[in-house]
Amino acid sequence: MRGATMRMRMLAGAAAIAALVFAATPSHALEIKKMTLSNGATLLVSEQHQLPMVTVMIEFDAGTRRDPKGKEGLAELTARCLSEGTKDLTAPEFNQKVDFMGSSVGVSAGRDYSTAGMTTLKKYQGETLGLLAGILTEPGLRDDDIERKRAEQVAEIKAAEEQPGYTADVEFTKDLFGDSPYGHPGAGYSDSVAKLTNDDVRGFYHDYYKLGSAIVAVAGDVNPDEVKASLEKQLAGLAGAVTPQAEPPPITVPPGLHVKLINRNVMQANIMMGSSGVERSNPDFYRLKVMNYILGGGGFSSRLVKVVRSAHGLAYSIDSGFEPGKFQGAFTVSLQTKNQSSNEAIDLILQQLREIQEKPVSDAELESAKKFLIGSFPLGIERQSAIASFMVQIEFYGLGLDYADQYPKLIGSVTKDEVLAVAKKYLHPDSMIVVAVANQADAKIKTAELEKTGDATSAQ
Amino acid sequence: MRITIFGYHRRLALVAALGTLLCLAGAPPARAGMADAVKAQTLPNGLRVLVLENHKAPLATFNVFYRVGSRNEQFGKTGLSHLCEHLMFKGTKKLGPEEFSQIIQQNGGEDNAFTESDFTDYFETINKDHLDVPISLEADRMGNFEPKEFDKEKHVVLEERRLRTDDNPEDALDEMVRAQAYVAHPYHWPVIGWFHDVDGLTLADAMAYHKIYYSPQNALIVAVGDFDSDQVLKQISEAFAGIKNGPKPPPVTELEPPQTGTRRVELQHAANLPAFEEAYHVPNLASPDSFALEVASEILSDGQSSRLYKKLVIEKQMVVDIGAGYDMTSFDPGLFIVSAQVRPGIKASDTQVEVEKELAAMRDAPVGAEELQKAKNLEAAQFVFGQDSVMREAEMLGVYEMLGDYHLVDKYLDGIDKVTAADVQRVAKTYLVATNLTEGVLVPTGVLPHGGEELSGGELR
Repeated sequence: MRGATMRMRMLAGAAAIAALVFAATPSHALEIKKMTLSNGATLLVSEQHQLPMVTVMIEFDAGTRRDPKGKEGLAELTARCLSEGTKDLTAPEFNQKVDFMGSSVGVSAGRDYSTAGMTTLKKYQGETLGLLAGILTEPGLRDDDIERKRAEQVAEIKAAEEQPGYTADVEFTKDLFGDSPYGHPGAGYSDSVAKLTNDDVRGFYHDYYKLGSAIVAVAGDVNPDEVKASLEKQLAGLAGAVTPQAEPPPITVPPGLHVKLINRNVMQANIMMGSSGVERSNPDFYRLKVMNYILGGGGFSSRLVKVVRSAHGLAYSIDSGFEPGKFQGAFTVSLQTKNQSSNEAIDLILQQLREIQEKPVSDAELESAKKFLIGSFPLGIERQSAIASFMVQIEFYGLGLDYADQYPKLIGSVTKDEVLAVAKKYLHPDSMIVVAVANQADAKIKTAELEKTGDATSAQ
Repeated sequence: MRITIFGYHRRLALVAALGTLLCLAGAPPARAGMADAVKAQTLPNGLRVLVLENHKAPLATFNVFYRVGSRNEQFGKTGLSHLCEHLMFKGTKKLGPEEFSQIIQQNGGEDNAFTESDFTDYFETINKDHLDVPISLEADRMGNFEPKEFDKEKHVVLEERRLRTDDNPEDALDEMVRAQAYVAHPYHWPVIGWFHDVDGLTLADAMAYHKIYYSPQNALIVAVGDFDSDQVLKQISEAFAGIKNGPKPPPVTELEPPQTGTRRVELQHAANLPAFEEAYHVPNLASPDSFALEVASEILSDGQSSRLYKKLVIEKQMVVDIGAGYDMTSFDPGLFIVSAQVRPGIKASDTQVEVEKELAAMRDAPVGAEELQKAKNLEAAQFVFGQDSVMREAEMLGVYEMLGDYHLVDKYLDGIDKVTAADVQRVAKTYLVATNLTEGVLVPTGVLPHGGEELSGGELR
């Protein structure tokens, strides 16, 4: 895939002439048509006629949370192998066909679900959909391709482990979630991936790539009935549904700050600290969204950025967030700061967590949080890929087709008392996991706060 | 969009990173006819303004480009452009530090900025009904720059440098390769600046810099979105017409002398895997060769059927990923870069031999008709995909206007279409040759501190 960023970034994009012709103001934030395919899959279509292009995303209950213990990385490897051609087309033949149309076709695994997707010019819609359907209904999954993708994934993990932030995230995730479905990195570990067999991959595909429980989202220059007919034909081979995964027991962090120090030859400490969060269906989700915006999710309007970055100059990047999923996710605060200021930064973060639990936020903070969250919503559903991804999410998490219209009300009704209540209920400044990847000799992580809990030990 | 690597972000020093080049080669711009929909105007103070209506979503984007980047800096004061960008958020005669962003956010908008070697871009994306907010705020910081908290912000920038470059092996290598490839031209130093230079910059440096480079005559406004263009032109004119110019910015006169032999640089760095970056001096849009070079980069590395991906990732399995990138819109001639992170157990030098074989194949024989057509099809498709964002449209118009004329966007796909197999072979023979090569190799020293141990954690209690 390619896009554009950094030096290369500005080469991309151009004005939409077609857009000038088809100007219209929709009465709803986003018009979505919902249908059901005969194999049971849910189909969502958003007509976007401004550009001659089409984006399709198909959700399968095949996310990394399905990885069996000891086979971490299997969902990811399966997704990657699916992109390597069909029974009739070798990987190079498949790649040649996709690239010749200028299309992109691929499968990727997320935490809750995997997504098979394509982007294409309208004129190649049928052929590209045929290729996407081909890798889903009759994937190649040849031995040599699986072996190649496995070695590639191991190499990528080793490359990622060079990034201190990746290591901090992996260790934090492991410590917080333990053996539960969210407790490992999506790509797996280099040793768990190395042990995956070709039959593991074929078995995972067989068990989880079923259309009966899938969501198909189409955004683009299409006619909904035509696209439905075409999908019925192309995806006929993937019947059956996947049994839902049992919900894991709740995550809790015992009292105290549980510190893990990892020694690295770096100039900056990468610190991730946090505790258990919520599942997406938690009714407090919108209250937490507002609270977290004020605490550390709201960029330069957030307290953590104001204090740690602006007032103290300790970090370029600091933020906090909940990562709600199908299951209970994490609450995290993460930042990078020069090794020597680790203790000062951790102290400041703990102070902010306590303050938002002790005192109500100001009226001004509450209002600006709501205004941003409501006002910026349309910015997140501008591009076709964002629209398709949005449709998958509202269906997967059961948010309703009118979610874009409901959202302002859900955010708008949050009160100061509710913000205080959720801060008290869901933040745990005295029960957290703290992971620091740093040059420990320079960082000397041992703050007054940590000492008070009796739980910190020096690194070496 | 741009800022996805580290979460929420802004004020980015954009340094072409190896990792970036791997997945994101130069993407193609516009088709004929786009410029006709643009309305252009130059205010009496010299401020150039472009507006373009696009009604696909109820949004608008507002960009202010200043023709200043690390290219305009001097030895000993590197990083000043990027620091100045940070300070633009730290207050004016009317506003306190960070109030700019807070006001934009309160209006449901998002704002950010980035610095390049050639220019600096400030931008806001916002509901179409609130476009007046960024217009008045941008006018304020152009005319009433008065940053507070200078020292704190400098420390933030030094943290940014640690994050992006010093603790990032590929970026550290890229910095060394550029410093070796350019000996006379200011592309020699990184956009974010050398650590010690940044540490030594003063508020007086920034104020003087702003006075020269942040004048209306040195700026360009581009607005794209769901609005009435005449009305927006009027709003912009009212907000900006009263801002006075400072002294005229001095021209950049440095010229990089021709390279006459391979240059090599080695970087030892905390890392697990070796990596390499190969850079060749190439012309920019001013030369007709630029289109053939763009096609060459497509053939080498766009898509999984591309030559380098097929050979080094699929067949030889020597690299994690590989990319070839070229930016034809740099203000002065830039670099054609091939870079890769090497798989465990493989030598960087063996991988480079394979890369050279592919470049030699491109020099020795014309590319096939189907392969050439595939490259053009990729360009054409990505051109359409690129129009799916008002922000990208604005950036594109801005860059071409700064290169001389926004109408140049109309000639892009024509330029690509005209490239022949013989053109690709000729530019490969002319530019992708050993005497014009700067190669950098990253020698990984492991990620542990000297004398350190792997993991001193486990749960400590």
